Amino acid sequence: MAIKTILIIEDDRFIGEMYVRSLKKADYDVDWMVDGNDGLIAARNKTYDLILLDVMLPERRGSDILMALRGGTEDLIPHSKVLILTNFEQDDESRLAMEKHANGYLIKAEITPSKLLAVIQQLG
Amino acid sequence: MAVAPRQVFAKDAVPRLKRTATNLIILGQLLFVAGTGALMYFTNVFLVYPEAAIAILLLQAIVGTIIAIVTYHINAQPLKDLMAAIIHASGEPSAQTPPNPNETRFAKNGFKDALQIIYALASKTPDSQEPTTAKDTATGLSTPTVTPDQTHSLIETALNETICGFVVMDHQRKITFANKAAPVNIDQSGASQLSLLFNGNDTLNAWLDECEKSAVHAEHTWVRIPNKLPEDENRRFFDVIASYDKGAESEVVLTLVDRTDQYSAGEQELDFIAFAAHELRGPITVIRGYLDVLQDELKDVLRDDQSELFRRLTVSANRLSSYINNILNTSRYDRRHLKMHLTETSLADVYDTIRDDMNLRSSAQGRLLSVDIPTDLPHIAADQASLGEVIGNLIDNAIKYSNEGGAINAKATVKGESVELAIEDHGIGMPGNVVSNLFQKFYRSHRSRETVAGTGIGLYISKAIVESHGGTINVSSEDGKGSTFTISLPTYQSVADKLKAGDNNNEGLIDHQKGWINNHSMFRG
Repeated sequence: MAIKTILIIEDDRFIGEMYVRSLKKADYDVDWMVDGNDGLIAARNKTYDLILLDVMLPERRGSDILMALRGGTEDLIPHSKVLILTNFEQDDESRLAMEKHANGYLIKAEITPSKLLAVIQQLG
Repeated sequence: MAVAPRQVFAKDAVPRLKRTATNLIILGQLLFVAGTGALMYFTNVFLVYPEAAIAILLLQAIVGTIIAIVTYHINAQPLKDLMAAIIHASGEPSAQTPPNPNETRFAKNGFKDALQIIYALASKTPDSQEPTTAKDTATGLSTPTVTPDQTHSLIETALNETICGFVVMDHQRKITFANKAAPVNIDQSGASQLSLLFNGNDTLNAWLDECEKSAVHAEHTWVRIPNKLPEDENRRFFDVIASYDKGAESEVVLTLVDRTDQYSAGEQELDFIAFAAHELRGPITVIRGYLDVLQDELKDVLRDDQSELFRRLTVSANRLSSYINNILNTSRYDRRHLKMHLTETSLADVYDTIRDDMNLRSSAQGRLLSVDIPTDLPHIAADQASLGEVIGNLIDNAIKYSNEGGAINAKATVKGESVELAIEDHGIGMPGNVVSNLFQKFYRSHRSRETVAGTGIGLYISKAIVESHGGTINVSSEDGKGSTFTISLPTYQSVADKLKAGDNNNEGLIDHQKGWINNHSMFRG
């Protein structure tokens, strides 16, 4: 299933805009949320093909959002893929916990928009 | 000195001797009296002076018996004293009071020395003690009078008062003793477990496995071992000293020195470095991202010299990003948080993740980089991102310490059960005295301080990463001619069993999902 709709949950304005711009140029349908609570609500209200999830977020951390969506008995977003995008490298335990519920874990500083597009194509 | 078998007691010898002597005396006296009587009978003394003869016989019997008994006692007493001393020293139960060598009679008869020798010999033998107050006054020794039980509780109390942890384990690695300071918790089954978070594969259990295979006596030290994760309360740091003694009742003895005060100060500093480095990554994300975007979008309008400026910006941003990774890795390594997720991969695949970046860096700085990594080399067990950073560091160094137009050759070969990658430059090289310090943290040679900028952590962290892979890193260098850095990594085949059996630090290897994207360096560039 090709990826069409993408939700970005990212609090850094420059980084968020950068991703939005590149993804829109590549014809993806993009929504962008800045804080963790809004991000979780958006993810539950609409079915996205892909969620790009930051970890250090205001209101609710990315790891908490992921656990709320996928940590329970029922997967609340069975049709979505999740890529964790962070600059803050977790200690091993929480990182492994997140990796279990996600489809990828990337360091933002190592990813340029064109690399991100390549990764998304690979996921789709 | 222990009690003799078949319960024959040494103290029984004296009454036996006494019985024999009594029998002999009675027999002797009877014979003597009978002989004298017979003599008097045949010489008619009996008939002439019957009263006198009976009186002589009676006198003879009484006096003879008394003399015999007195003689026996004079001769048997020292023997009895010696026996009593031996019985006492042997720990045999006895109601007798052991002889005191300081009594004047022993000085007179010369047995004082003999008794003292017996007591001295006895006190040297550790299992002979049934210590009593009598013994100590008898020997004149001033050792405190304590029973083994008392000694035990005395030591236990003392151990519980020290801040050092002591743990004793038997051959099944079950904890048989742990003092209060030892970081031990009780698990659900009621067994004591050590709570120590060892670093990577260098664990106590791994060392004990090794010992059981090949050692009789061994010792090992681990430094800076925490008992809890960083976020947990009351986290402590220990230096752990283990000794192993095969077959002994206390096969493993651990001494844990609490170094929390010393290490936790450094911990906060390292936390700060980690946070600072993370902060730096935000702006770098934007710089690298928009450089990539702009280079692409402006490629038709930029003049050649302007494109070159863009390339330089990109190279600089990439290098900055690598340095931050080095700082973060170093901070994690020093806090014992640097963990490798080893997966089966090939050196060629690892290099592919940094190829574009390396080509860009070398060409932007006018070096001729040639890389020869055959794709058919045996696979290795590697953490792709970290190993990519190591190779990047080495090529970066080769660029730094060589001249414009210089050739840099990277060549991979297989050597027995290892895959080797040699990175050779024809730059300024190093004298021998520099080489030995090269992998130390913050080390920079006098000359490189003057000519090249750098932090001196690149090689330090590279060595740490390579060694975490079970590999080695070496350098050969000639002053003025150039240097060759060689990393040697075990083949996947040679370590696969160990990795699969290993702890969960290598989950990546076990749960490796195809198509899973967790390797950020794959997309570096």
